[in-house]
Amino acid sequence: MMGNPVTHFQILSKRPDDSAAFYSALFDWRINADNAMGYRRIETGSGEGIQGGIWPAPAQAPNFVQLFVSVADVNAAVEKAQRLGGRVLIPPTVLPEGDEMAVLHDPQGMSFAVWRNGKPG
Amino acid sequence: MKSLEHTRGLRKLTLTLTFRERLMQELEARRAVNRRYSLRAFAAMLGVDHATLSQILRSKRSVPLERIVPWARQLKVPPEEAAVYAAVGRVMEEQAWAREEQLRHWAAETLALLTQPVHRDILLLVRSPAFRADSRWLAEKIGVGVDDVNIALSRLLRLGLLEVKSANEWVERTGLREITARSFRRYVTERIPSTLEETR
Repeated sequence: MMGNPVTHFQILSKRPDDSAAFYSALFDWRINADNAMGYRRIETGSGEGIQGGIWPAPAQAPNFVQLFVSVADVNAAVEKAQRLGGRVLIPPTVLPEGDEMAVLHDPQGMSFAVWRNGKPG
Repeated sequence: MKSLEHTRGLRKLTLTLTFRERLMQELEARRAVNRRYSLRAFAAMLGVDHATLSQILRSKRSVPLERIVPWARQLKVPPEEAAVYAAVGRVMEEQAWAREEQLRHWAAETLALLTQPVHRDILLLVRSPAFRADSRWLAEKIGVGVDDVNIALSRLLRLGLLEVKSANEWVERTGLREITARSFRRYVTERIPSTLEETR
């Protein structure tokens, strides 16, 4: 894989069902949660741009959007981020379907995720 | 004139870190000249209520940012020096705010662990032979919604109580022999000092 593209956006919502209903009504996005994590995948219905998802946020958190950056090696990306002043929020974690991710804070406190697709190719 | 003597004396003071400390020095310098110089007199000279000034000097409240420059002028502190105090004050205020946010967040996380049984339920299921790496399965077993499970999962991962080594290999990290309600509560409570340290 070449480069480190942004491949996914994630809406963190205190009311995920309401967020899903709003965006699907607004943009005709399809929400599909039929997977092991019950993760609400957003299918925008377009080959352009990236696809997304919705993850529930705890009551005290704000609603916000996270970008997922694709990397070849999640551990290496996390170590590099730390050297550059980032902080680990969720350490490298393998999801049920084999994808691997970690969530970080950049030095300004903004959170983002690094992601490695578990499926070959 | 006495006030001029003051001024000359004050010019010799070195630059201190905060404007509060500078105010302290000013007051002490005046008292060195006049043992009966009162806090009230100092407050009146600055144009501030003496109770407020007293709290500021005892670090019970911070110097209002917008007062630094006018007070510095009143004390004949050079404007360059006043600009440094104002800048330091701004940064300290921002840092205190960020730290407070962080602490608030941490307190909410810890309280959630202590008050929402779903966290312990997940850790128990992770240990059970029937375990499946599946939020829907966990939700059904625990009797809560999938969102509740996923919020708790994120929290357990953030706080290092759970580690996901591979797609099907989840490891709970409490190290407790038995995760009873009581032992879990004690575990979380005992961890408070070390996790608080990590937020620094």
